[in-house]
Amino acid sequence: MMRGRRRALRFVAGILVLVGIVAAIASPQAALNALQLPLLALFSTSRMVAAYLIGLVFAIAYGHTAATSRRAALIMLPILDVLQSIPILAFFPAALLFFVVTFQGSPVGIEIAVVFLIFTSMAWNMAFGVYESLTTIPQDLEAAASSFGLTKWLRFRLLEFPAAVPKLVYNSILSWTNGWFFLVASEVFQVGSSKFARPGLGAFIADAGRNGDVASIAIGLAVLAAVVLALDFFVWRPLSVWSERFRMDTASGRELAKVPRYEPFRWMPRFPGVRRTILARARPATQAYHKASVRLDRAYASHPKVVRDVRVVDLGLFIIVLLLVVTTGLLGLAQLFLRPLPPEAAGLPLAALLSFARLLVAYGIALAWTIPVAVILGESERASRFLTPALEIFASLPATALLPVILGFSLAVVASTDGAAQLAAILIALFSMQWYLLFNLVAGVRSIPQDLREAARSFGLRGRAYWRRLLLPAMTPSLLTGSITAWGAGWNALIVSEYIQYAQKPYSVVGLGSLINEAVLVTGDTEVLLLTILTMIVVVLAMNKLLWRPLFKRATIRYRLEV
Amino acid sequence: MANPAPLLKVKDVTKSFFEDGKEFKILELVRFELAEHDFVCVVGPSGSGKSTLLRILVGLEKPTSGEVLFEGQPIRADNPQVAMVFQSFALFPWLTVTQNVELGLEAQNVPVADRQARARRFIDAVGLTGFENAFPRELSGGMKQRVGIARALAIEPLLLCMDEPFSSLDPLTAQNLRDEILQLWSDPNLPPKAVLMVTHSIEEAVYLADRIIVLSSRPGRMVAELVIDLPRPRNRKEPEFYGWVDEIYSLIV
Repeated sequence: MMRGRRRALRFVAGILVLVGIVAAIASPQAALNALQLPLLALFSTSRMVAAYLIGLVFAIAYGHTAATSRRAALIMLPILDVLQSIPILAFFPAALLFFVVTFQGSPVGIEIAVVFLIFTSMAWNMAFGVYESLTTIPQDLEAAASSFGLTKWLRFRLLEFPAAVPKLVYNSILSWTNGWFFLVASEVFQVGSSKFARPGLGAFIADAGRNGDVASIAIGLAVLAAVVLALDFFVWRPLSVWSERFRMDTASGRELAKVPRYEPFRWMPRFPGVRRTILARARPATQAYHKASVRLDRAYASHPKVVRDVRVVDLGLFIIVLLLVVTTGLLGLAQLFLRPLPPEAAGLPLAALLSFARLLVAYGIALAWTIPVAVILGESERASRFLTPALEIFASLPATALLPVILGFSLAVVASTDGAAQLAAILIALFSMQWYLLFNLVAGVRSIPQDLREAARSFGLRGRAYWRRLLLPAMTPSLLTGSITAWGAGWNALIVSEYIQYAQKPYSVVGLGSLINEAVLVTGDTEVLLLTILTMIVVVLAMNKLLWRPLFKRATIRYRLEV
Repeated sequence: MANPAPLLKVKDVTKSFFEDGKEFKILELVRFELAEHDFVCVVGPSGSGKSTLLRILVGLEKPTSGEVLFEGQPIRADNPQVAMVFQSFALFPWLTVTQNVELGLEAQNVPVADRQARARRFIDAVGLTGFENAFPRELSGGMKQRVGIARALAIEPLLLCMDEPFSSLDPLTAQNLRDEILQLWSDPNLPPKAVLMVTHSIEEAVYLADRIIVLSSRPGRMVAELVIDLPRPRNRKEPEFYGWVDEIYSLIV
């Protein structure tokens, strides 16, 4: 695994150098532009880190409150559920305007809007992760914590936070993938005639696309891929290994014995000196942290009433804010529907149908290639070693960054402008959806216990029977998980895929996404904008409630592999 | 027998839960006392509410009616004089053996040096020297339960409560641990003073306890309270031993 990863990294570095050389020869201007890329990458990454840290704090606070108070969970969980499933990107223009107006057009307002948007793409699944982890702590472990007197802070530090670590790390990786998608979409944004842009990788690529500057697009994408993969290699992989330590070992000890022992900074073998220094420097800090946490715990324990009061106030504030949001929302809706509907409203059903059809086609294509490839990757160690790095490089590029490439490709393949726009919209949806399917399915195939494979082999199951009796049933739960995430990403992708500005020209197709874009960019008609967003939310929620949820419930009962 | 003030007093404990407005009784009017130097086992078939009873006795759950007094005070879950050992071990998978054993001491704010010394002492006492820095998943079932026992003993409790502590271990390991628990209990220099254990194995109860409380099933009522006066170490092959086992067996069926 490690070696494959290194190879991938070297591969990326190679591509990067190659792209740089080619681009520099082809276009000296592009090479000159590229010099600012490290700084732009830093800006973009800082936005991601800021949004992530806020998201992390939010997720822990929200998930913990929902998990420890049944009454709070009653309102907090449905809210989280809705927030998680609606296409947030549709709200961005409104949020951007709000922050820009609040900060009177200063760049700070735009920065906050961008960070806020990324936050909304990162926080919900992490909060769910924390909630799920805390509610599935084994009863005996809770009992042990209580009977040995672990209270508030100590309980959080020794029991609750560690229990949440695996799901937090897993969801953080997902959140970062979502975050890149939104970052690239949000660094450049046009509302009406005014354009808002903040310097960053996303803005660089989008600008290059707008000018039709192919060399700059290539360089920008290469740098973006390098940043995403480097973070993956230096941050998320080590964190994933580390998080294994926090898994509950309820299963038999066989697989768990293989869990790698975590050593801090083991992934920096080339720099033993650096590692030792960091560890030595960190020691006083960790000791201080231990002392402080004991003191904090004592403070908690000696003022139970204060702690309770703070909680009550917290909950009260939360409910007040919630009521405010709900009433303003309802008032807005009432206003919207009390007036006669605008003529564009008649086109909404067709637009919804066309958008849905595009996503369906993309989903179909994604299924057609990801299922066989996932089986190959899951079954053959060798294929996985060679293919996974390459696939991960493609997957590291958020679909929003690929807009110019995909449109350029579509224009080259299809003669008519409209046809090219249709193809591009489907391809962008495909690129937003397929990776969630692929990586979930691979995990599904890998999770098939060796016993079952051997049983299948010893009874002579081969070919179609092997697929029908073992592979497909075993893949079903992960297929559904992947599908739910993929469709969520697909709905978000609509906002960017149905209306693309490329080489100074807009390319658009009829659909909900283009209606939203036109309302924001061209007509400035907030009524149509709100109606379209509303339609989208209704469709998405209906699909989740009527299709995915019931399917998922049935699949997990019937096809789960854990006993 | 001179009867000192009871350590634990269980007064008419009843527990029921309600579903769709219907009442389901799990435990009904359980009452007994436990003094220092007692080794009491609660036996009963599945569905007799043994584990619920133990959770009530250590304060993890509240009885529907009745009360539990420890040294004359209502029991609280975080009472440092009572420690608990679990069937599932309930070790924290992210903490090492030493950190697990120090758990209760950390909650009591015992100074670090003292904490470490006590942890080492009880890790030695259960025979886990050399595994101080191992994680639970690296240990066998028997070793895990040794950690569970060391963790309970480390807070130097007066009363040790065990919920089927040996039923997820293989028979040989279980027998070794039974003898070690007896040794710890009879050693005046080591905690605990008294042991309360829940089990479904009648043989195990007769082997260990000097008093056995027999529960019926659904709801759990006290069928009998028997004093086992067999000399120790007890031999399972002796007819007296089997006499007790048969008697309890006939009480339950």
